[in-house]
Amino acid sequence: MDAAIGRAGVLLGFLAAVTGIVTLAWGLARRRPSLLRSGQLYTWLLLSGAVGALLAMEHALLTHNFSLKYVADHGSRETPLLFTVTTLWSALEGSILLWVLVLAGYIAAVAVRFRSRVTDPLVGWATLTSYAVAAFFFGLMLGPANPFRSVHGVVPLDGPGPNPLLQNHPLVAFHPPLLYAGYVGFTVPFAFAVAALVTGRVGEGWLVETRRWTLLAWGLLTVGVVLGAWWSYEVLGWGGYWAWDPVENASFLPWLCATAYLHSVMVQERRGMLRVWNLSLLLATFSLTILGTFLTRSGVLDSVHAFTESALGPAILAFFALVVVVVVALIGWRGDQLRSPGSIDSPISREGAFLGNNLLFALFAFVVLLGTVFPLLAEAVNGQRISVGRPYFDTMTEPIVLALLFLMAVAPALPWRKASTELLRHRLQWPAWAAVATIVVSVALGVRGVETLTAFGLGAFAAGAAVRQLALAARRSGWAGLVGRANGGMVVHIGVVVIAVAFAASQSFGHRAEYRLAPGQSARLAGHRVTYLGARQVRHPNRLALEASVRVDGARVMRPALSEFPFATQAVGTPSVRVGPADDVYLTLVEGPSQPGGDAVIGVVVQPLVSWLWVGGGLMAVGTLLAAAPGRRRRPTQPASEVSADEVAGAGPEPEGERVLEPASLAGGVAGIPGG
Amino acid sequence: MCWSRPRWRAGWRGSRGGEGERGARSGAGPSNSGATGPPEAVRPVRAPRRRTALWAAVVVGALAVGLVAVLATRPNFEAVQARSPLLGKPAPELVAADLDGRTVSLSGLRGRFVLVNFFASWCVPCQHEHPQLVAFTQHHQAAGEASVLGVVFEDDASAVRRFVEERGVDWPMVLDPGGKIALDFGVRGPPESFLVDPNGIVLVKFIGEVKATQLDSLVRQAEQAGA
Repeated sequence: MDAAIGRAGVLLGFLAAVTGIVTLAWGLARRRPSLLRSGQLYTWLLLSGAVGALLAMEHALLTHNFSLKYVADHGSRETPLLFTVTTLWSALEGSILLWVLVLAGYIAAVAVRFRSRVTDPLVGWATLTSYAVAAFFFGLMLGPANPFRSVHGVVPLDGPGPNPLLQNHPLVAFHPPLLYAGYVGFTVPFAFAVAALVTGRVGEGWLVETRRWTLLAWGLLTVGVVLGAWWSYEVLGWGGYWAWDPVENASFLPWLCATAYLHSVMVQERRGMLRVWNLSLLLATFSLTILGTFLTRSGVLDSVHAFTESALGPAILAFFALVVVVVVALIGWRGDQLRSPGSIDSPISREGAFLGNNLLFALFAFVVLLGTVFPLLAEAVNGQRISVGRPYFDTMTEPIVLALLFLMAVAPALPWRKASTELLRHRLQWPAWAAVATIVVSVALGVRGVETLTAFGLGAFAAGAAVRQLALAARRSGWAGLVGRANGGMVVHIGVVVIAVAFAASQSFGHRAEYRLAPGQSARLAGHRVTYLGARQVRHPNRLALEASVRVDGARVMRPALSEFPFATQAVGTPSVRVGPADDVYLTLVEGPSQPGGDAVIGVVVQPLVSWLWVGGGLMAVGTLLAAAPGRRRRPTQPASEVSADEVAGAGPEPEGERVLEPASLAGGVAGIPGG
Repeated sequence: MCWSRPRWRAGWRGSRGGEGERGARSGAGPSNSGATGPPEAVRPVRAPRRRTALWAAVVVGALAVGLVAVLATRPNFEAVQARSPLLGKPAPELVAADLDGRTVSLSGLRGRFVLVNFFASWCVPCQHEHPQLVAFTQHHQAAGEASVLGVVFEDDASAVRRFVEERGVDWPMVLDPGGKIALDFGVRGPPESFLVDPNGIVLVKFIGEVKATQLDSLVRQAEQAGA
């Protein structure tokens, strides 16, 4: 029954997508608005198919229907309820189901949002593109990644449960759905970018309207990536949070391009420039999501996350190739025709800074992508498998990050079109003093090392610029001044600076060691004292855990554990972390006592400022919410690049909250805003 | 890094007036810098359209084609030697019926290296691995020092028989009703293999497709170590 409903849902989704494509293609070719209208209706069939399939799978998991192969392979009667629900995305086929549901949800939201413009060919092309992507993923589930396959032969009475690492921590309920909501969300801006290139209409209000979609997807992806780092830290037990693992890079690459886009689109809104850059960035973001999916779902790269199902690899690679062909063809064909006639007046200007920003992010993405696929390239050339590890990534990305921090400080202070030195000096004075003060204080606290000090200094510079901006906005308009794109963006910048500083500090000043301790014995590391008290076995419904009790600094007792799951061959470590504002004490049980009362080996990692990473992530999320809210509307008669009275008087114009005309009504959208 | 010079140099003319230019900017609307220059300048004929986007697209396209070609021709990551509670311990008792109903036991194969290979006909990496197992068997057949023992993992006998007929299998393949053998060895999913030495001790556990060369060198090492 579950299998039947599930398969029917998947088939319905696939057929709806394909029929939608055909209908819309016909309607666009023959210019028939009625077909465009009916083409939109297939969205609801698509959504029903996805929802139906998902509900069928959850029902099968919750009722332990082991006649379904997916449940038999990944479900278990002993798994707690939360992890049974999350088993839906704890393995390959189920994760495609989640993808398809999120995608169908986004397509439906687009249909609702743009329902008043349904006969517009631009919307038609965008919907057609989204249907094509949906058709691919539904098609995967009809073929190589079928989650509703039945079990051969005898139906087992119980299953092994999901991978032990995926039933160890409640975070598994948040990280994948949020990550997917972001990752898959980029399909919408991609679809609109393709539509814009095909129809040749790149200078209109569609950009303003889809900006919020991209911002939403970007915000969700940011949260998803930060949660992934948190996961790596809390669950995987190696004491770190970012290993430049292929799956981490797969989620990071689209983030980089999307970040560049979110900045560069402001130039398009304001000056009508960098149109082809923006389109290219959107197209690159989506292409990278497909490439990332390929890298993690085929077996080509060894990764913490790899789903080694090689039948899926060729299909996704073929789709990636198709996407690249379409993207390259569209840009090659239309790109030069659609370039805006204007040019950047001077590199020392907001536009120039954003162009530099684009270049830096493109370089960043290239460096990370190269490092990720380099083992494959090297193997292709000389047959030897090498691995590219953290040293490459850290060395190559550090200068780029420092340059970005510098831009983060300077760009908000730069006016549009042209800057003068006095202006810059006036605006950057306070942040520069903050940077100097930070470096002095760091040196006084014992921080040495040029790279770390530079990172701290530039971080303070950028944070100072952002805080100054926020302070001015608050002074001008109170709390309401903090809402809106520019100021939300400043909060996000502060979050980024916090993360960058935390990253630099924890990488440079971490300490790790392992100690063999008898019960009652202590060890000291980096100013903390850990005392091993003893170990005991604890029976949980889904695992047998050997928990060690360790007292940290004479206060809290922490319990790192080694858990044995019934169907896993090796024990899974559960670390225990004492989070603090200044540093984290991270404990793992490396080896338990061989007899009761015996010695145990406790691993200790002390890293400063790790908790700041999560605070920084939270700030970025808050900033995104602030940025998504509509800010102050400027007067409709005020042109985009007019010089204000302050500027002429020499006090220097402050980059205001919202200088761009927002669509007059959020629901219907405006037919077209001359934007160049 | 250089700014893309042609972009702003064309507009540089428009703002070369410096401070005095500011007054002229008001009320122009969303202007493009080159369009309303100082009235006395004669606008030169516009240069032929730059094909930057086309060239960028061609370069990116070529790189992408190269990347796809490389990715398409990569074999799956080689089998990883996994940790297992069985390593260094005697292999679990394995007595089962093969596809023809004959009883096969692991202890009956003592005296040579045995690769206990968990296999399913629906498992694509297992299909890829098959030629490697054939090669491994052929290398060691003559000397009789190593052989493969296949165990069917969650598959029908009929599907396995079809595979055997089509691809040819020269080693005993036993059925595992109820998954008991898989449970004893701690197998999560195929392909997984266990290299058992001539005394019945488990030497290595592999998760993933094995390569004949990998197995050959391990057998050689174990022999030299005096197994």
